[in-house]
Amino acid sequence: MVRLSDLHPVESDHLRMRAEAMPAIGPGEWITPPQLDQATVAIVSTAGLHRRIDPPFAVGSLDYRIIPGDIQFDDLVLSHISANFDRSAFGQDPNIVFPIDRLRELASAGEIGGVARWHYSFMGAMPDPSQFEETGEEIGQLMAQDGVDVAFLVPI
Amino acid sequence: MSEAVVPPRALWVPFDLGRPLGAIDDSEFQKNVMRTAFGLLDTAVEPTIEDYQIEAPDKGLSDTWSCPLNLTSESSGSLGERLLAEVARLRPWAIETRRQRGRTLFGISGAREDQVDELARQFAAIAETGEVTSEPVTDEISWAFEMPLLLRHIADDLRTFYHEAIAAQPGGNAPDHDALSRWIFSDTVLGETLVLVADGLTKAPDSPMAQLVRGLLIPEGHYRGGSAFPKETKFPIDPAT
Repeated sequence: MVRLSDLHPVESDHLRMRAEAMPAIGPGEWITPPQLDQATVAIVSTAGLHRRIDPPFAVGSLDYRIIPGDIQFDDLVLSHISANFDRSAFGQDPNIVFPIDRLRELASAGEIGGVARWHYSFMGAMPDPSQFEETGEEIGQLMAQDGVDVAFLVPI
Repeated sequence: MSEAVVPPRALWVPFDLGRPLGAIDDSEFQKNVMRTAFGLLDTAVEPTIEDYQIEAPDKGLSDTWSCPLNLTSESSGSLGERLLAEVARLRPWAIETRRQRGRTLFGISGAREDQVDELARQFAAIAETGEVTSEPVTDEISWAFEMPLLLRHIADDLRTFYHEAIAAQPGGNAPDHDALSRWIFSDTVLGETLVLVADGLTKAPDSPMAQLVRGLLIPEGHYRGGSAFPKETKFPIDPAT
């Protein structure tokens, strides 16, 4: 997350207002995963990523898209609704938003146990995150069935 | 926001929006961010937010970047003619970026890469007429959205075309988001067109969705010097409203 002082003052004020109005959610149940070199890791993005064949995200979307672990970047696009972040960085290097190559490298080096077969993408910019509870539970079940030990949440 | 959500383990990073791993094309920098985040699995015993202390080496150029192309020369003719002329000047560079990358982010609106002229023509017509409630009529493009949300994605496809054109040009670091936005809204016909479309949304029949799309069309601070968002925005909004 960026420093508010690095943003345009209008955007900074907007985010500060959103943060102050955001309802408290957590904490959730504390879970201790296996050692990292034994753990399978999945990425959960809020960048509005999806495969080109998938339906794009709508305003206020509470649903999610699945991203296979063998995704190629020429098949990965972004339909996040906000105009307030730098898409050119994702265009140049998709790993800066969705670091699947980095996970593969960490797995090859034995630093993590493995890369999940499936990863998940939401669209952020939701003032009340509690509205994601149902879909969050759903992908939690899916990740459990996929043998995922660690969910690496990457906000945009 | 993390303080409200209280995730079990969070790493706050000092990177620009859109760059959560910090540095483009720097696998070690990206992996070190991830290693630090994963390290919290060993060290945290209660909900923890840790600050990442290392700045990104390539935040992107802001104050010093300018586009080598002088697009202000496209100053005669109608808005549509000027926008198409601008697109034509950028096209060789956009094609080169796609050739180098083997991919593009263009196309969320439903337009194919070879339909950018028609996309620009339709967007300029919307700006000139102020018609923001009916989908543009075209035999060429199958739109992926309904109005007015379609406007937001047409705008983003055109902006993506411009960004991809800039990316291929010779020079050092790429511009950051602020520099790109200043360039679009100060020096391009596209910026002029975006503001006119936003004006049309302002005048649209009383529709929360139209007002919201106005805010989603233009980065904060670039709509006539201020916010394009309405004072109150509630989610989810039914796109039919």
